[in-house]
Amino acid sequence: MRRLTTVLMGLATLLALGAATGSTARSARPPGDPVPAPLEPMRVSMREPGVPGGRFVLGVTNDARTFNPIMSNESSSSDVSDRLFTALVEYDNAAQQPVPALARSWEFSRDGLTCTWHLRRGACFSDGHPITSQDVLFTFAVAYDTTLHQSVFELLTPHGQKMQLSAPDSYTVVMRVVRPYALLVHAVGSVRILPRHVLEPAWRAGHFASAYGVGTPPESLVTSGPWVLKQFVAREKTVLARNPYWFGVDARGRRLPYLDELVFLVVPDQNALWLKFQTGEIDAFDNVKAEDYRAYERGRQSGGYVVHDLGSALTSNFFWFNLNTVKRPGGPRPVGQPCVDPVKYAWFGNRDFRRAVSMAVDRDAIIRSVFFGEGVRNWSLMTPGYRLFHTPRTVAPDYDPAGAKALLARIGFRDRNGDGVVEDPKGNPVRFTLETNASSNPRVQMCNFVRDDLARVGIQCTVTPVDFNTLINNMREDFDYDAILGGLGAAVPPDPGMGGNFYRSRAVSHFWNTRQARPETPQEARLDSLFDEIVLLRPLPERQRISAEMDRIIDEQCWVIWLPTMKIKLPVRDRFGNLHPTILPHRLIWNIERVFVKPQGRR
Amino acid sequence: MRTYVLRRLLQLIPLLLALVVLTFLLLKLAPGDYATGLAENPQVSAETLDAMRHRFGLDQPWHVQLVLYLKNLILHLDLGQSFSRQQPVTTVLREGLLNTLLLALAGALVTWGLAIPLGVLAAARHNSGVDRALSVVAFLGLSVPEVLSGLLLLMLAARTGWFPVGGMRSLDWDTLPLAGRALDLLRHLVLPALTVGLVPLASRMRQMRASLLDVLRLDYVVTARAKGLGEGAVVWKHALRNALNPLITLFGYTLGSLLSGSLVAEIIFSWPGLGRVTYEAILARDQYLVVGSVLLAAVVLVLGNLVADVLLLAADPRIRDD
Repeated sequence: MRRLTTVLMGLATLLALGAATGSTARSARPPGDPVPAPLEPMRVSMREPGVPGGRFVLGVTNDARTFNPIMSNESSSSDVSDRLFTALVEYDNAAQQPVPALARSWEFSRDGLTCTWHLRRGACFSDGHPITSQDVLFTFAVAYDTTLHQSVFELLTPHGQKMQLSAPDSYTVVMRVVRPYALLVHAVGSVRILPRHVLEPAWRAGHFASAYGVGTPPESLVTSGPWVLKQFVAREKTVLARNPYWFGVDARGRRLPYLDELVFLVVPDQNALWLKFQTGEIDAFDNVKAEDYRAYERGRQSGGYVVHDLGSALTSNFFWFNLNTVKRPGGPRPVGQPCVDPVKYAWFGNRDFRRAVSMAVDRDAIIRSVFFGEGVRNWSLMTPGYRLFHTPRTVAPDYDPAGAKALLARIGFRDRNGDGVVEDPKGNPVRFTLETNASSNPRVQMCNFVRDDLARVGIQCTVTPVDFNTLINNMREDFDYDAILGGLGAAVPPDPGMGGNFYRSRAVSHFWNTRQARPETPQEARLDSLFDEIVLLRPLPERQRISAEMDRIIDEQCWVIWLPTMKIKLPVRDRFGNLHPTILPHRLIWNIERVFVKPQGRR
Repeated sequence: MRTYVLRRLLQLIPLLLALVVLTFLLLKLAPGDYATGLAENPQVSAETLDAMRHRFGLDQPWHVQLVLYLKNLILHLDLGQSFSRQQPVTTVLREGLLNTLLLALAGALVTWGLAIPLGVLAAARHNSGVDRALSVVAFLGLSVPEVLSGLLLLMLAARTGWFPVGGMRSLDWDTLPLAGRALDLLRHLVLPALTVGLVPLASRMRQMRASLLDVLRLDYVVTARAKGLGEGAVVWKHALRNALNPLITLFGYTLGSLLSGSLVAEIIFSWPGLGRVTYEAILARDQYLVVGSVLLAAVVLVLGNLVADVLLLAADPRIRDD
C-alpha cells in the first residue's frame, strides 16, 4: 500500500513537471527570459519591435527624495517612482489618452456611477508575488489615508467625496462615485499600485511615510512596474534595471523593457548638462533653455543626435493684480476689506484698467528677447500644448499701446502734471510693484519688459524679484503685494478638470482673489458652476465648449494678463528606437520600456 | 597642552548651543517653511499643507520646536529628521561629508602645493621678471570668479576629452578593479580640485612672499649669508622655517572652511558633496537639515582652528614657552 502511494506520488510529480514544461513551451518565451510570461500579458504596440540590451542615461538636475510613489511631492521623485510602479491604467502621451496597464479593461455602468476594472491575470510584483485586487484595495486605502498628505488626494475625491472600492474577486475591482466624474480614469491612473504583502505592516505601524525611502536596500524594494531599483547613490545617480516579472511584452511576445538599465544621472548645473550631452555622457535631458536651441541645431550634423521640436510648453506665464479681500479676522484690516491700499484697489478692480495694462504689453518683443524667438503667444491655462482643449480664438486684449492710452484716458487716468506718469481721477500717480521669483531668469526678464511697456503708457511699475518662499507667503498668507508674475505648470492628463485650484473661486491658486467663501462676482460664480460641470462625465465636444467658455470669462475680465509661453526643443541621441518625446511629462521617458538601442548604434 | 586642548573643546559646547538657537531663529524669521515650498504644485491643497505642518510639528510655536530639538540633541545626540528625504539628518550629512572632505583636501593640496614654492620663488627673486609674472598670474587667478573658471575648465574637458565633464565617478565605477577605481576618482577630481584650489592661491602666495621677504631682511639671514652659506640653504633652511608661522595660522582657517568653500565647484562639477546638501536644504527650508549642517560646519571650523593653534605650538618654541 505504502509502495503504491509512493509510486502515485512519483507519477504526480512527473505529471506536475510535465505540466510545468508544457506551460513553458506554450508561452514561447525567448531564451534568456527567466520567468514565464503572465497568463494575460500586456501587448504593447510600437512602431518597430526592438532588441534587448543597452542603457539609457537621462541627465537630471535633482535626484529622487523618495521611491514611495504615494509620498513623492516633486517630479524628481515621481519621474523615478512612476517607472518603478504601474497603475491600473497608464497615459499614452502621444495619443493623449489612457491605455490599459495592470487593468486589461474597464467599463462604466450606464449611469456613470460605477466603474468595474478587470485586472490582468498572472501579473506579478518584482518578487514574484501575484498582484491581485487586494493590492489595489490596499493602495487606495493608503491613498485615502488623510494623515499622509498625499498630492493625489484631491484628484481622488471628486465632489469632495471618497470613491467606494470593493473587490468581488481577486481580479476585479469595482469603484463607486456619488456623481459622475470625468477624470475618474485619470485619477485611477495617478495611483501607483503597491505590494500589500510588503508595505501593510509599515502602514499599520504608522510609518508608511518613510517606507520605500531612498535609503531602502534595492533588493527589498518590491515593485509593480517595468523597472526595479538597482542602485541609488545620493546626488550622483539612480540606476534602474529590468523587472523580470513585469507583464508587458512586444508583438513577438518578447518581454519588456528592452533596455538593461535606465540611469538618472544627477547634473545640477544646466550648462554642464549640455556639455555632458555633447560628449555623449548622457543621452538626453529635459532641462533645456531657449537660449541654447540654436546651439542644439548647430551641432546636430556632427553630434549624432536629433532635435525634437515639441511646440509650445504646457507652462503658462501671466501676471495678476491683487484683488484679494481679507478672509480671516485678526489682521490689521476688517474681514471683507481689500488687502491692498484702497487707492490701488480702485485701479486694480477696474476691468478697463486691467484691459489697458494687457494692451500695453508687447508679447512679440518678449518672445524675441526672453525666449530668443522660441515662444508662442498664449491666452489661456490651456496652452497650445493642450491639444484637446486649446482654443486659438480669444477675447483677451493684445498689444495696442495707442488703444491702451485712449482707454486709460477714457477712465480718467491722465498725466495732469506732465511728469510722464498718469494720475487717477483723484490725482494719485499710478505706481505699483510687480514681484516675481528671483531664481527664475525668464520671469525676471519678462517683468522688465512689462515695466518698460507700461512706462510707455504712463504707468510706473517697479520690478521686485523676491525669494520663492517670500513670494508664496505674499500670495498665499499675508497678501501683501500689488501684482505678481508667475506661471502654472503641466499636469497629466492635459485636462481643464485638473485646473480646479485655479478656476474655482474657493481655491488657493485662484490667485487674484483666493479662498472666497462664496463667489464674490457673478463671473466667478459662473466659472465655479462651469468647472463643476466639466468634471462631470460628459462627451468631449461639450467639455471643450465649457473649457472655451471658462477661458472667455477670464479673458473678458482680464483677471490675469497672459504672457507668451516657451517652445520646447529637446536634443536626443539618435541611436535609440521608439523614443518618442512628447510635450506631456515625462517628455522623454514616458514610454521608456519600449525604447531600445538600434543595432547599428551599439557600442 | 592637554588642558589647553580640553579647555578649547569645552568652550565648543556653549558656542554650538548658541549657534543652534541662532540658526533656528533665523530660519523662523524668514517667511515660509518646508510646506510652503510644496505649495508651488497646484495639486497640493491648503488642507494637505496644514496636515503636513502638523505631522512635522511645524504648527507648534517656534520655542516649543526649539526646546524639543535641543532636548533630543543633548539627551540622545539626535539631529532630527530631514523633511524632504524622510531620513535621519545624520544619514544625509554623512553621505556628503566624505565627498566634500576629499574635494576640499585636494583643493588645499593644490593651493598650498603651489603657493609655498611659488611664494618662495617670488621672494627669492624679489622684483625680478619672474616675481612680476607670478604676481600677474596670481591676481588673474584672484579676479576670475570660481563660476567662470569652473565652467571654462568644464568646457576644456568637453572639447579635449582629457577629463570627464564633471561627476565623481564613471557610471561603470562599480565594475572596475580597485586600482581602476582610484584612477577614475582621481581623473574626476583634478578639475574641481583646481577650481577650488586656485581661488585662495593668489593670496596665499602673496602671504608667503611677504612673510619670507620680512625674514630675509633680518640680521641672522645676513649673518648666514656672510658666513658663506649658499643662497638655497639660506632661503629654504634658515629663512623659510621662520617665515611659515603666519601661514600655519592661515592653514588652520583653511581647515575650518573646508566644508563651506566648495559649493560652487560642487554644483558646476556635479560633485555629490555636503555644500549641495546644505544649499538645497536652505532652499527647501528643511530646517533640521539646515541646523545639522551648520552645526557640522561649526564643529569643523573650531577643530580646524584648534589644529592650527596646536601646529603653531609645535612649530614655534617661543609660543610654547609662554
